[in-house]
Formats: sequence, C-alpha cells, structure tokens
Amino acid sequence: MGSPFDINGGACVAMVGKDCVAIACDLRLGMQALTISNNFPKIFNYAPSTYLGLTGLATDVNTVSDLFRYKVNMYRLREERHIAPQTLANLVSSSLYEKRFGPFFVSPVIAGINQTTGKPFICGFDSIGCIDFAKDFIVSGTASEQLFGTCEGLWEPDLSPEDLFETISQALLAAVDRDALSGWGAHVYIIEKDKVTQRLLKGRED
Amino acid sequence: MDKLVAQYSRPQHQNESYSEQEQQDLTESLPPLSLKFSLPPVDNRASFLRAMTDDHSNPSCPIKLAHGTTTLAFRFQGGIIVCTDSRATAGNWIASQTVKKVIPVSRLSRGEDKPSNDPTPGLLGTMAGGAADCQYWLRYLSQQCTLHEIRHKRRITVAAASKILANLTYAYKGYGLSMGTMLCGVTPQEGPALYYIDSDGTRLPGNLFCVGSGQTFAYGVLDSNYRYDLSVEEALALGRRAILAAMHRDAYSGGFINLYHVKEEGWVHHGFDDMNPIFWKTKLEQGEFSNVTSEL
Amino acid sequence: MLVYPASFLNMDFVLLGITGKDFVIVAASKAIMRGPTIIKAEDDKTRALNNHTLMAFSGEAGDTVQFAEYIQANIQLYTMRNDTELSTPAVGNFIRGELARSLRSRSPYTVNLLLGGVDPATEKPHLYWIDYLASLAPVPYAAHGYAQYYCLSLLDKHHNPNIDLEEGMKLLGMCTDELKRRLPIDYKGVLVKVITKDGVREVDFDNDKVVRSA
Repeated sequence: MGSPFDINGGACVAMVGKDCVAIACDLRLGMQALTISNNFPKIFNYAPSTYLGLTGLATDVNTVSDLFRYKVNMYRLREERHIAPQTLANLVSSSLYEKRFGPFFVSPVIAGINQTTGKPFICGFDSIGCIDFAKDFIVSGTASEQLFGTCEGLWEPDLSPEDLFETISQALLAAVDRDALSGWGAHVYIIEKDKVTQRLLKGRED
Repeated sequence: MDKLVAQYSRPQHQNESYSEQEQQDLTESLPPLSLKFSLPPVDNRASFLRAMTDDHSNPSCPIKLAHGTTTLAFRFQGGIIVCTDSRATAGNWIASQTVKKVIPVSRLSRGEDKPSNDPTPGLLGTMAGGAADCQYWLRYLSQQCTLHEIRHKRRITVAAASKILANLTYAYKGYGLSMGTMLCGVTPQEGPALYYIDSDGTRLPGNLFCVGSGQTFAYGVLDSNYRYDLSVEEALALGRRAILAAMHRDAYSGGFINLYHVKEEGWVHHGFDDMNPIFWKTKLEQGEFSNVTSEL
Repeated sequence: MLVYPASFLNMDFVLLGITGKDFVIVAASKAIMRGPTIIKAEDDKTRALNNHTLMAFSGEAGDTVQFAEYIQANIQLYTMRNDTELSTPAVGNFIRGELARSLRSRSPYTVNLLLGGVDPATEKPHLYWIDYLASLAPVPYAAHGYAQYYCLSLLDKHHNPNIDLEEGMKLLGMCTDELKRRLPIDYKGVLVKVITKDGVREVDFDNDKVVRSA
C-alpha cells in the first residue's frame, strides 16, 4: 500500500474573492476503501478571521490541529491579540520544518483576512513547510488534481462573497465526485472582514 | 424427522440444479478452445502478466485495470434479483460513474436496454473485476449460447452456460484474468438458477451471492433481511437497498443503481437510478444512515 | 515512521460499539488466537477507565493489554488526584494523544480501540473510534476488525439514535448473527458490556444461537 497521504482521504480548497476569502473541505474519514465517519471536518479556526485546513493522514490532522491550537493560544496570551493569517503561515511553516526528518503527513491550507490591512490572504504548504503563496486559489488532499482542474475552470478575480461561495462549492463538489477517497459532504467557510458564514454542503454520499 | 420435513417443505426449485453428469453432457458438444491471444515472449508468462497487472501487490504496475464494484444476485420465490453499482475506478481516480455491469447474455437484444417493459428472454451476467475481461468473455459466452440455440433448437440452460464460462476461466488460470461474475436465468429445465463463476475457475450454484470490493456491505444488509418468500416489490427494494449500503461505505462502489428482475418469461430492467436522491430519501424518510449529518 | 496498511494487522477479532438514547453497548469477541490455536476462549478485551467510561481494545499481542492498563492507571490517577472524573471526550483525546506520541516512537503500540461512555449529568452517550494510527472519530456506532465490513452497513440500515437498550441488544444480535453467518473464523462469541449513567455492567448475551446461511 502506498503513501500515508492517501490512507484516510480528504480534500481542501481555499479561494480569494473581492474583500473576502473562502475555505472548504470534505467530511470523509476512511481507512483505504472503507468509510469510517462522514463527519470529520478538516478546517480549524485559530482567530476570528483565520482558518487552517488540513488534509492527509487523519492522525496527523488531529495532532497538528491540536498542536497549533496550543501554539496559537500561547501566542494570544503573550501578545494579547489575535494571530494574523500571515503570522500563522510562518508559524505553520517553521513548525512543520522542525519535523524535517520525520514529517507530519499533512498538506495545510490557510485562508483568512488580515485585520490590520483588511486584505485577503491564502497560502498552502507541503508537508515539511514550504509555503506556496497564491493570489487565486490553493488546493490540497487526495482530490487535488481534480481540484486544480475545477478551480482553473471556475475561478475568476474579484468574486463577491455569494459568487465565491457558489464557485468554491461547485469546484469542491465536482472535484470530490471524481475522487474515490473524498466527499461524503462538505463544510464551506466564507470569510469577510467582520463576518464569517459557515455552511454544510450535502454532497454525494458515495 | 425435521430434516425430512424440511426436505419436502422447501419451496419449489429452491435446491434444484443439474447433476454433474448432465452438465458434462451439455458442454461436451462444444468445440475445443481455439482462441489465439498473443502472449508476452518471456519464460514465465503467468507470473509476468500477474506482476504487470496486479495493482494491489504492486501499486506502480504498468497496466492499470479498472477495479472495484459491488454486484449482487439472489434467488427468491418470484425469480432472481440482480443489482449492481456503476462505478469504475483506476486507483483512486473515478474513471466512470455510468458503467453497465449487468450484461445480457442472450441472442435477443444483446447489450441494448429495450424501451418497453416486456420481459426479454435470455440470461443475465454481472461483471466485477477487470471490466474488459468481463465484457469480452460474456460476449464470447453470448456467442456460444447463440450457437447452442441453433445447434440444439432450444435455449441453453444456466448450468451449461456457466460451465462454458468456468471452463474458460480455468483454461486461462494464472494468466492474470480478473473476473467475478454471476450468471442468472430462469429456464424450463432448472427454474430460477444462479451461478457464481470467477477467474480462479470456481463455479458455484447458490441462492445468494455478492461480488466485488463492496460485497461485505451488501451481505450485511441482504442477510439480515433476506427470505425466500419475499414479494417481488420487497425483493427489488432489498436489492436496491443492499447496493446503496455498499455504495455508501465502499469508496470504490457508487454511481447508479442498476436493477434487474429475472423471471420465467425473461428479464425485466427496473431502472438505472442515481444513488444520491435515493440515499437522501432513505435517510430522511426512513431515518436510516444516522451517521450522516444533515445539519451543522 | 512506518505506516503499514491495516490489512497487515491481526484482524481475527470483533469489536462492536452501539450508542442509543442513554446508553452505549460495547461488545468484544472472547477468543484469543495465536497461529492455528485459540489459546483462550473467555477473554475480556475491555477495561473500565472510570465509573462511566469503558475502553475495548484489540491488535498486536502484548501491546493491547499493556496500553489499556497504562491508560486505565493514568485515568484512575487523575480521578484520585482531582477527586473528579474526566468526561468521555476528555478521556478520548487523552488516549489519542498518548497513542499518537507512541506512534512516532521507536516501538509504537499497535492497538485499535473503541471508547464508550455516558455523561452522568446529561445522560448523553459518547462513542469514539480510534485506530492504531491514533485517528479519532466520534461515531454513533463503530466496529473494528472484519466486523467493520459486515456490520457497519447493517447498522447504517437499522440504527437510530433514539433506540432503547432492548432495541440496542436486538441490533447487536443482528450483527453477531451476520458475523456467525459470514466470518470464516470462530471468535467464540462476544462479551457484552453496557454503559449507562449508573456505570458499567456486564450483560448476558446468547452466544449459542445457531445461524443458518441463506
């Protein structure tokens, strides 16, 4: 059996719109072909407008999300302010590189709005912390190849929050419908400067 | 005494099948295999072919075959129910969601779905494993069945047809064929008959089979609700529900539910329906699938 | 780190967990197998962690009991030190943390777990599925071993979160019937424990029923 990245399955995507960002993930937790749970969200919240999506090996999704909850809580206590998405990106990068010779098998995605500048921010990482900055979209997980296709096809600049929701939802649902290891429902977050909307998508259940 | 009563109180046809001798006689009239396939020019062809095509033991094997399926068939008082999913996967990639895994093995209307609801005479075969293997060999079987009909002026029995297929898979045993198939039909000689044939050369008559990567999930639902005296409506619903269960839990099964009913006059197609609306209807109306969240 | 597929693990065991309105049923097979032999047919693969939390375990010989009793001791220590019990979700996350830590050590514990518990205040049942890689998932019903492949689809059809204990036991009976019908091994029946707000108790279960195949 192959890579630890496709034992449990899962997909995550982030997109930039006009003064807003969106991040979405599927809900499957599997063990190879067997679906164990249909309610395993892979997006975690670290500040009012900072979100982290984690795909890959489920145990590391748990471990890494817990680790950053601890680190971000310590940051907030020390600095007495919320962490900015850019800061979280650097924290994720250096924390992952600390495990350069025994990595966490996850592909993180960050989406958020910087409260000081009001600018949207997204980025992705490989499992050892190389940051991939992007102006349009970031994809990760077992359906990443499909997501590249759907995002290239559907994304356009300066989408409104409503249009961005539609775009990211269609991109994710279409992609996971062509991947055996992800799907079974999805969570979508639309992040605006002072408002976050969370939605559940009822995807195909096969 | 109980055994004696059971023997005589069983429904008609439940245990009927052909004796080995009769099966032998039926297949002896066949010409010897003279199909010519080119084989790789190496010493050990069987193990070479297996190494090239088995992506389970070798994920980077050069020839990827379409795998992953759930198919089921069971006998009951009103005939035989045949139900399959429609997904084809190559690794984790879903190559197709609209595969027709039930193949009519009969001289009449081979392959095409008829618009009318009249029963079509002939046998049905299901496919699991290598898609190409199943399609090719069931087509070959279809040809043999037609020849049988011309030679003997009567339709072939399921016993004989399944024996042709099993002899074939046995002849190519070890060459990397991958198929698990069920042959079903109702003939005047046998009543409703169901056979399981696979690429190891196994051939088994039986009442209930599930084949493919999602077989265990289908068995779970089927076994707990199966009775021989199911009504036709109940049997169709059970077949559909068992495939739905497998599509939900098995990543390599999904797509559309393909349902057939085989009865005396022939087989009837009962739809090729997308599983997703059926799933949500089952969940919301029957309260099943309580593991799936429908609200945040 | 070595990540190997679950199919390499010993699968000759049955663990089942079913939640209902105000209870969790946990069932574990009674056989311990070594090679061709059943060396014990009355084994208890569960440990009570505190008054209302029970853990069932299976996996690599030796690892299972060592890990379970390590967890049990630590949860009991916490209860004594703080004079209060950890909730089931808290116990679940503690276990996951310990298993995840061991996963990246020189010799990881190879243990699959089910954790069941009932909150004595709200009477809300909790069930967690944890595998040897320390993936944790809260679920309404769960299984480990080959039982997953037969029973999850059956439970998908017949389970409902509002069932009472009697219906829960009937559901468990359907699961064990299916395993008797289809599993090629004799797992020597299951030991059944029920967790309610009043604590953990063992219940009688008819393991001698003969099941006929279709």
